[in-house]
Amino acid sequence: MHAWIFFATLALILWGITGVTQKLSTNRITSERSFLWFCWAMVALSGAVLVLAHPHAALGRTVVLCSIAGGALNGMGAWTSFRALESGGKASVVISLVSLYPLLTVVLAVLLLGERLTLLQTAGAILAIAAAILLSMEAPQKAQA
Amino acid sequence: MNRKTRSSARQAHCATRLATDILGPVTANSPPAPTPIRPARFPRWLLWSVVTIVLWGTWGLVSKIASEGVDAYANQLLYTAGLAPLLVFVAFTVYKQNTDESRKRRLQGIFWAFLTGILGGGGNIFFFQALVKGGKASIVAPVTALFPMVTVLLALLFLKERLGRLQWIGLILAFAAIYLLSI
Repeated sequence: MHAWIFFATLALILWGITGVTQKLSTNRITSERSFLWFCWAMVALSGAVLVLAHPHAALGRTVVLCSIAGGALNGMGAWTSFRALESGGKASVVISLVSLYPLLTVVLAVLLLGERLTLLQTAGAILAIAAAILLSMEAPQKAQA
Repeated sequence: MNRKTRSSARQAHCATRLATDILGPVTANSPPAPTPIRPARFPRWLLWSVVTIVLWGTWGLVSKIASEGVDAYANQLLYTAGLAPLLVFVAFTVYKQNTDESRKRRLQGIFWAFLTGILGGGGNIFFFQALVKGGKASIVAPVTALFPMVTVLLALLFLKERLGRLQWIGLILAFAAIYLLSI
């Protein structure tokens, strides 16, 4: 097994659990307050990383800028997804639509980084994106008595 | 987020994610606020959704570029630095908010949000490590975007939620996709 699939699976599991914990949070407080404390947890985690791990100190400018941009892009994406929901978009439609984001990553990685996928990998990527969209579609709620 | 923030996101993704996420990717659960109905060729929610796709899609790309020279721990620090301006902005927004939730509910909500951040950040570290270990952005991004399958399974097992037919199909497709992408 490739090492990357092990780490990707761990990411998938942790992010999957956040789907539940986030729901437990936003059932009690506003999405903005929830997002704020999500960010504070990131700061706390980074503090722990700084103390316990020993990150590289000498880094190139391009990779540093890309890492910082990663945080900004991901955080702003979360914020704009809230805006989409608050602008009248149905949750089922908005969340399914934004699940298309890996498609853009695939296109950009192929065009700009020269990545190449085999036929099976291409089929897998398409299936994965379709699966993410279908999984995001909540089952219709039964009318409450 | 979900994602994220995702995430979720997501998460979060972070996710999300944020959400979703997240939040990766982000799963928002509160109903959207009602907005006045007016004819719009390109509705605002659609615009925000497209912007989200662009932001998260580009995040996958820049993460791969960064993984060529940054380890996962250093990336977590720099990632948080990138998140800092948004944190200040959201903190200001929340400070101005008047909410009527009880102290107990607020503390519970904050606890779950904080846990979401820790798990989302952990997910970020592993996502980045997958890229450092040679995973292609064009494969790691679609694989990790399958995180709703874990959410759905957890909701099925622990929250006793029922899955719709489309979610079952999505679950089957997700396992097939992981198999195809891992061989």
